[in-house]
Amino acid sequence: MDRLRVDHFLPLTPIAFEILLALADGEQHGYRIMQEVNARSAGAVTLHAGTLYRALARLLEQSLIEELAERPAEDDERRRYYRLTDRGIAVARAEANRLAGQLEAARARRLLGVTP
Amino acid sequence: MSQGQRVAAWIFAHVLLRAYPRSFRKRFGREMVADFEAALVAHPRFQLRVASREALLLVTNGLSERWSAIERWALWPGHTPHLYEPVGRHAMFWETLRTDLRHTLRQAGRTPLFTALTVLALALGIGATSGIFAVVNGVLLRGLPYRDTDRLVNIWSRVTQEGRLRNPISPANFVDFKQQNTTLEGLEGYFSFVTPLELATDAGSEIAFSVQVTPRLFDLLGRAPALGRTFGSEDAIPEVILSHGYWQRRFGGDPSIVGRTLQLSNFAFQVVGVMPPDFVFPYGGMLGPGGFTRVTRVDMWVPIAFSGPVARANRMLTESGALVRNVHWWGAVGRLKPGVTAARAETELQTIAAQLEQRFPDTNKGWSVTVVPTLDQTVGTVRPALLILMAGIACVLLMASVNVANLLLARAIARERELATRAALGAGRARLVRQLLTESVVLSTAGGLVGLGVLWAVVRGLVAAAPAHLPRIDEVTVDWRVLVVAALVTMITGVLVGLAPALTSTSINPQATLQDHSRGAIGSAGRRRIRSALVIAEVALAVALTTGAGLLLRSFVSLLNVNPGFDTEHLLTWQMNIPDRLHSNDERLAFYRDFFARMEALPGVQAAGGTTRIPLGSTSVSTTIQVDGRPVPVAQLPEVQFRRAMHDYFPAMGIPIRRGRGFTLDDTPTAPPVAVINETMARRMFPGEDAVGQRVRMGSNSTGPWTTIVGVIGDVRHGGLEETPQPELYITAQQNPPVAPFIVLRVTGDPAAMAETIRAEARAIDKDLPVYDIRTMETLRADSVAERRFILLIVSAFGVLALGLAAIGVYGVMSLIVSERTREVAVRVALGAEPSRMIALIVGQAATLALIGVAVGLAAILPLTPLLRSQLYGIGAADPVTLASVPVGLLVIAALAALVPARRAAATDPLVALRAE
Repeated sequence: MDRLRVDHFLPLTPIAFEILLALADGEQHGYRIMQEVNARSAGAVTLHAGTLYRALARLLEQSLIEELAERPAEDDERRRYYRLTDRGIAVARAEANRLAGQLEAARARRLLGVTP
Repeated sequence: MSQGQRVAAWIFAHVLLRAYPRSFRKRFGREMVADFEAALVAHPRFQLRVASREALLLVTNGLSERWSAIERWALWPGHTPHLYEPVGRHAMFWETLRTDLRHTLRQAGRTPLFTALTVLALALGIGATSGIFAVVNGVLLRGLPYRDTDRLVNIWSRVTQEGRLRNPISPANFVDFKQQNTTLEGLEGYFSFVTPLELATDAGSEIAFSVQVTPRLFDLLGRAPALGRTFGSEDAIPEVILSHGYWQRRFGGDPSIVGRTLQLSNFAFQVVGVMPPDFVFPYGGMLGPGGFTRVTRVDMWVPIAFSGPVARANRMLTESGALVRNVHWWGAVGRLKPGVTAARAETELQTIAAQLEQRFPDTNKGWSVTVVPTLDQTVGTVRPALLILMAGIACVLLMASVNVANLLLARAIARERELATRAALGAGRARLVRQLLTESVVLSTAGGLVGLGVLWAVVRGLVAAAPAHLPRIDEVTVDWRVLVVAALVTMITGVLVGLAPALTSTSINPQATLQDHSRGAIGSAGRRRIRSALVIAEVALAVALTTGAGLLLRSFVSLLNVNPGFDTEHLLTWQMNIPDRLHSNDERLAFYRDFFARMEALPGVQAAGGTTRIPLGSTSVSTTIQVDGRPVPVAQLPEVQFRRAMHDYFPAMGIPIRRGRGFTLDDTPTAPPVAVINETMARRMFPGEDAVGQRVRMGSNSTGPWTTIVGVIGDVRHGGLEETPQPELYITAQQNPPVAPFIVLRVTGDPAAMAETIRAEARAIDKDLPVYDIRTMETLRADSVAERRFILLIVSAFGVLALGLAAIGVYGVMSLIVSERTREVAVRVALGAEPSRMIALIVGQAATLALIGVAVGLAAILPLTPLLRSQLYGIGAADPVTLASVPVGLLVIAALAALVPARRAAATDPLVALRAE
């Protein structure tokens, strides 16, 4: 089916990609995703609660992520945990490749330094 | 958590999160609150800036989520997998809307012709209305291209004796007003006319049109130049600022123009700046009645000098070197201080004027002040005309809506069974109204979208068809205000056309209707009343529109029939400036002798002449005169229009000589001074006497030679066809030759074809003889009524549309009524009624409705006649011809429209009709 094809989802919005990246290491809850994205991008991408949960809603709808059925017992019971689906992994990989291709092109046109 | 943090969390959960759709909140709300509390703990210090930014982001995100939810639920249900679905009341709402939309679209697809016609009718109505509004918006509503237009006012002299409210002011009075007032932030002046200057180029002289302004004018108007700077100091140095158009046209937009020197009428001016493309000053309405040329285009601005040789050349100074107080040719623009009204400024300036009257009774007796808001000054003359158009188009839109309402009503009847079935199955009144309104709003929205194309075409068409001198017409564009109005009009129309069918359909009694229908007698008294009301409304609107159009048409015809006092056919006119090197009268006379000889030698030329002020749309100049043997105090000297006649001016124009003689070659500079006057002057100043032989003296000097009146000519409509002739006095140019005359040439063939010959001949005579503003007198005559023709054209189009719409409307309604009564008619005919009686019955019914409509329409336009009066000429607003013929015409149209269905009904075979049931 067309909509299941990975290309269908590309390119991802920067925020969606950041969220997928944050989940690549394993399951997280919303607040942790936000903290991680904000720390890693060093201010280049700022995730706010509103943006985060709207993006999560879209990713859930597209089945790129899914919600975990159980969670650590000691945590706040209001929290929910999310993780990548197989499709999510494939899409994130494709997006990374796509970006790498662009990066390559930028190097070839001497917009960036050559890889050491 | 602290108390403050708990409050913040509560606000977050119960106020800010409300921006999100309910189902989104249900799914993510708890997580978001948990996150927020965690963030509060991590950042305990409260910062207003951060908090407010976060709150704003949260709310805007919520609203966009809401919007995309609406989009998806309403337009693409089931298109994307939904994480959360609308619930409860909301789900119902969207579900209903979707059903209604789907139903509407299916209905539209099933009756494509009906749908297309309805959408087209609405598109025309909505598009034309928004188009006319675009003109009104561009001309009347939008600010002028200055800063805070609301606070700008124009200041004129009010000549109390003669009732002239907007007379130019004198430079000395200007300076006094400027220095003594306390209500204005600033006051700047300008010469209230356009001065043609000669720009010296390698190929000879050419004309550039300038306006002289006080140096600070641009600061007062609040506009910066696009290039360079505006005038620097109060002392006028020979500097010039170019208009954007002239810079583009003449210098190809050369950016190095600033700093260049131009030779203008023998003075060197340095270009210091170029104004932006949208800058206009002055608008035609800000010019006074005087001046040297008809042209109102401004190529450049030159600073006014208050002293020195230029000031002397401009006659700014008296012989003693003081500023002139008794000659009035200045316009002035002031900026009101914040909070000051134009009326208060006027009161103050009038007080100052009264003091000046006391101090300088010789020059200022009877001279007061008028203050006019600058926007009024600019567009005040076209306001009534545009408001008439607005009223007219509103009528057309209403009529189109009534017709569409009628169509929908007819369809609602055809669908009565469907609606009754729905009602029987449990649909409530509100539900049915909602469905029908959804349908009409969808139709009008489609109409509005198509109407955008109409709007664009209408605006383009109107701007192209409008007379060039209609103020601000080139500033008309489709801006957000126009689009908002178009959207509003669309929505209102949608509800309006849906209302009648929706309301009648809700009174359906399902049981009766479903039973009734099987018997075939549809229609209730209530619905018939509504339909009659629609016919009446339509006829009334048509009466109002066609009466307006009729009055304008009759005015226009009577205006065209006005005899201008001379023969406008086969006349070519132009203006020219003679070379600057000709200083003495003798040189100029020799030049003109040669010039006219060469003009007369051109093939096809019958007579040639010239004057200083050409009739129909040029400026005018006046002088006070004294009559020999009638001593009168200076302040009460009568004023007459003053012109000079050159060569064979009267014969060339075809102006008849009523008494005495015209000018001849014997009236040389050394011969006794002579004058020719018009009939109005002869009648007013020499009633019961022979004007020929009387002696007059121009100006107020008590010495100087007397001028003898040698002839009386017929009156000429100088200011325009609708202006009554003023007293006029001509002297011969031989005794005082002008430098920038208007030339007239009577030719045998088509005068327009001579234009190129004239240009070539003028160049051959002298390369420094720029010829401009070449036009045939017929063009001038047409231009003088161009604004009226424009308005008439539009209103006539409205009128024709109105008649057509009324005919269609009456036809539609009568067809319906007839088809409903087929059974009744058939029974009657079967019982022996004459078919002709049946026709009379039905036509009579239509005529009765039309008659009521006519009465309502006539009653409705009565309050509008004051608005119309400004546009009428030669007839009263209660013109009996129009007021009688329009109703008769409409009655005839209504009767004819009813005749078709009536004949069809009468021709029905009773057997067939009854069996069909």
